Amino acid sequence: MKLTFKPSPNYRDSQSTGRIMGELTLGLLAVFAFSLFYYFTNYTASYGLRAILLLITSVVSACGTEILWCIFTKKDVLNSLKNSYPWVTAIILTMMCPLGIDYYALAVATIIAIFFGKLVFGGFGQNIFNPAAVGRAVIFASFAGATAADIVTGATPTSAMAAQNWIINTSEGMNSFLSNFGGLGNMFVGLYPGAIGETSSLMILIVGVILAYRKVIDWRVPVTYLATLFVLATGVGIIHGAPLSYSVFHLLTGGAMFGAFFMMTDPVTNPTSAAGRVLFAMGCAIITIVLRLRSNLPEGVMYSILIMNMMTPMIESLTDGQQIKMKAKNIRSILILFVAGLACTLLIGTTIEPVAQGSAQAGETNGTQTTYTVTAHGFQGDNEFEVVIDTAKGEVVSVTMTQFNDTPGIGDMVDEEYLASFEGCTSEDEVNAIDSVSGATFTSASAKEAVIQALNASK
Amino acid sequence: MSLLTGPMRKHLNGHKELTSHTELIKVEAGSLVYIPLINGNSKAVEVLVKERDRVKVGTMVAKRNDHFTVPYFSSVSGTVVGTQKLMHASLQPVDHLVIENDGQYEQEQPFGTLDYQTASNEELVNFMMNAGIVGCGGAGFPSYVKYRGVKGIELLIINAVECEPYITADYRNTSDHLQDLVTGVKAMLKMSGAREAAIAIKKTKKDFIPLVAEAFKDCNNIRVHEVPDVYPMGWERTLVYEITKKRYEKLPGEVGVIVNNATTAVAFGQALTQGRPIVEKVVTVSGDAVHTPANVLVPVGVKAADVIAACGGYSAEDVLLIAGGPMMGKTITSDQFVITPYSNALTVLKNKPVNTVACLRCGRCSDHCPAGLQPVRINQAEKSKNVDMMAKLSVMDCIECGMCTYVCPSKIDVTEGVRRAKRYMALRAKK
Repeated sequence: MKLTFKPSPNYRDSQSTGRIMGELTLGLLAVFAFSLFYYFTNYTASYGLRAILLLITSVVSACGTEILWCIFTKKDVLNSLKNSYPWVTAIILTMMCPLGIDYYALAVATIIAIFFGKLVFGGFGQNIFNPAAVGRAVIFASFAGATAADIVTGATPTSAMAAQNWIINTSEGMNSFLSNFGGLGNMFVGLYPGAIGETSSLMILIVGVILAYRKVIDWRVPVTYLATLFVLATGVGIIHGAPLSYSVFHLLTGGAMFGAFFMMTDPVTNPTSAAGRVLFAMGCAIITIVLRLRSNLPEGVMYSILIMNMMTPMIESLTDGQQIKMKAKNIRSILILFVAGLACTLLIGTTIEPVAQGSAQAGETNGTQTTYTVTAHGFQGDNEFEVVIDTAKGEVVSVTMTQFNDTPGIGDMVDEEYLASFEGCTSEDEVNAIDSVSGATFTSASAKEAVIQALNASK
Repeated sequence: MSLLTGPMRKHLNGHKELTSHTELIKVEAGSLVYIPLINGNSKAVEVLVKERDRVKVGTMVAKRNDHFTVPYFSSVSGTVVGTQKLMHASLQPVDHLVIENDGQYEQEQPFGTLDYQTASNEELVNFMMNAGIVGCGGAGFPSYVKYRGVKGIELLIINAVECEPYITADYRNTSDHLQDLVTGVKAMLKMSGAREAAIAIKKTKKDFIPLVAEAFKDCNNIRVHEVPDVYPMGWERTLVYEITKKRYEKLPGEVGVIVNNATTAVAFGQALTQGRPIVEKVVTVSGDAVHTPANVLVPVGVKAADVIAACGGYSAEDVLLIAGGPMMGKTITSDQFVITPYSNALTVLKNKPVNTVACLRCGRCSDHCPAGLQPVRINQAEKSKNVDMMAKLSVMDCIECGMCTYVCPSKIDVTEGVRRAKRYMALRAKK
């Protein structure tokens, strides 16, 4: 019979860190499974398999790094591994990468993420930067070209929007832009090219709400982030007269959803107080939109997280205190940040200019046939087309590309054979019904745009 | 739960079913009883009897004599043996008055009875003081202090929440003595000058609510107020906020509220009508390492070991014996401490190993702290002995309710870290 001393309380919740990380892992894998479904059904099995192999590469690299670290620092390998959760970083990092990324690039990035992003700080719970974001930054800075040549999934909405200077100021422009990805609804569901796990807002939302309900992630972070991002994007949109779909696009693209639910919520690298988390998420939203509008980086979300990670200690210290008494000060801090962020964003918003859309110029007429010269924006640059229309019948006779400014090797898959498929079209709907060249969505779109403008001009 | 603060409370599994409907076991005092000479943290107690003096049940044997007055009464009849230093339930060595029990239980009325309807407020307050009525929620704060020179009180809250897991003593004692409760509450309501009284009961106590409501059906200014089944609903601040939506600096009087425990009201009622001080207590003995969990009626000054034995003894080899509930009660490595006038439970739990891992900074402790503190930050400040930061974090506002350790998914002793910070601050303040 033994009476033992233990400091009170001697009663504990059944929730454990292991279970939290386990549920997070399951949630991430559910989103990943959706992407696999997309690759297996919309592409070939080799695409799907590649996604699986990438994930395995990253998880093995992450665990391997931890095991080596444990051996060198003479720690119990199994126990350390169990309480360090390297696979979570690996899964998140893989899901942030495009499918085309080289295996070695992902492996090196994972090793750097785990080692420099986490272990050197003292391991799980001590790191100041989100390890997965560190890994993604490494890929972005060092392995941008390390992509497999045989994987072609087409341009992502983020890079396409970047090519539009992040502003499209008309409803029609926005609609035709979004139609490249099947419209907003399709983007929400996630059936479009993008980073492996970042595309399906629907899936991320479902998993995120479940995880927030189960208290695995803090609901304040995604709610504040997405709301702020939406308001700021709407502000920029209003300046330029852009439709609401422009604001929604900001939420659905570039890993905003994924980052909001799975990366900004990483408890280790964000503030511990409720008010601090609101400030953190709001800061991320402001930096995201500033980076999107003003820099050449489509990865605004990832950089915003890394930058705000640096602010975490300052935010902590700002919100320290008895939380009821701090409420007024916290509200003031949040309002100041919001107003400053809004002002910055709007000022920056006035400096961006939409890419000019070309118009059809009627050229020589031969009987009933008129040749129109049209410039349309493709992926990177403007492509020029000559469209011959039979004005009596109102149908397309021929389409030729006279100037090509998109990516060589990708955009030039839009060849004469493809352009010939427009012959006989009489309406916008017929033009839009023609499939795009897989992998050269933007150049195809520019061709369609040119044909439509020529048709409209001929009426 | 809001954007800027957490819920500041949480539902816990109360395990109340273990003892809520078991038979009340009567524990007899052994040949010696030990009256602990301490109240709160004050050991300024004057012993009023000498060795070999004869005492009866109810004889005043000692008195707290500083800025508060609290009398102590013998719980048995017999002979005074002397004083002895023993470990107390509050984990400190305390002088105890030892009385040899003659088993006769001869009674004495130390202060008579009083009709609260005709008595003046001053008489009532003095009566409460002389009857030794202390807060029976576990703290033992002398109740008369709350009513001394009151003004501007609008609401009297009778706390029958009993939010600590496992404990059902208040529920049991109050159900068994509804008439005393009615007397006590009416008298307290008169003393407070409040317009109405609210009896706070968890809404999950479905059988208890109608019972109390029925007892008070003639009093239209006394009502049952149902509160959510969360911890620490019974804490004064949480309870006052729940009922009035007001927060206060130091004392509930600032927002026109007095809070008293239901068992305290029962004890006051018994003192008024029967002239009986608190000489015995209903104590819950529960947990997963005691043979027969039950509520027991035990004289003050009986050792915990005897109480446990009356419940069939320990049922495990390695146990945690807790004076009070598992959240706020302290574990004691000896069962030789005694039942005090404000004891309400002994909890006996199996000593299960706890697997502590690194803090992941999830912030659950800050979200759930009922005092609005940030235990995770306090622990960081404590590790680096950063006094400025500890002060900024209002360390001393912590009531050690144990919530932060309870919710910690990494199984860290968060509350203990905050306690260390408090001790460090207290030591520095002394210098």
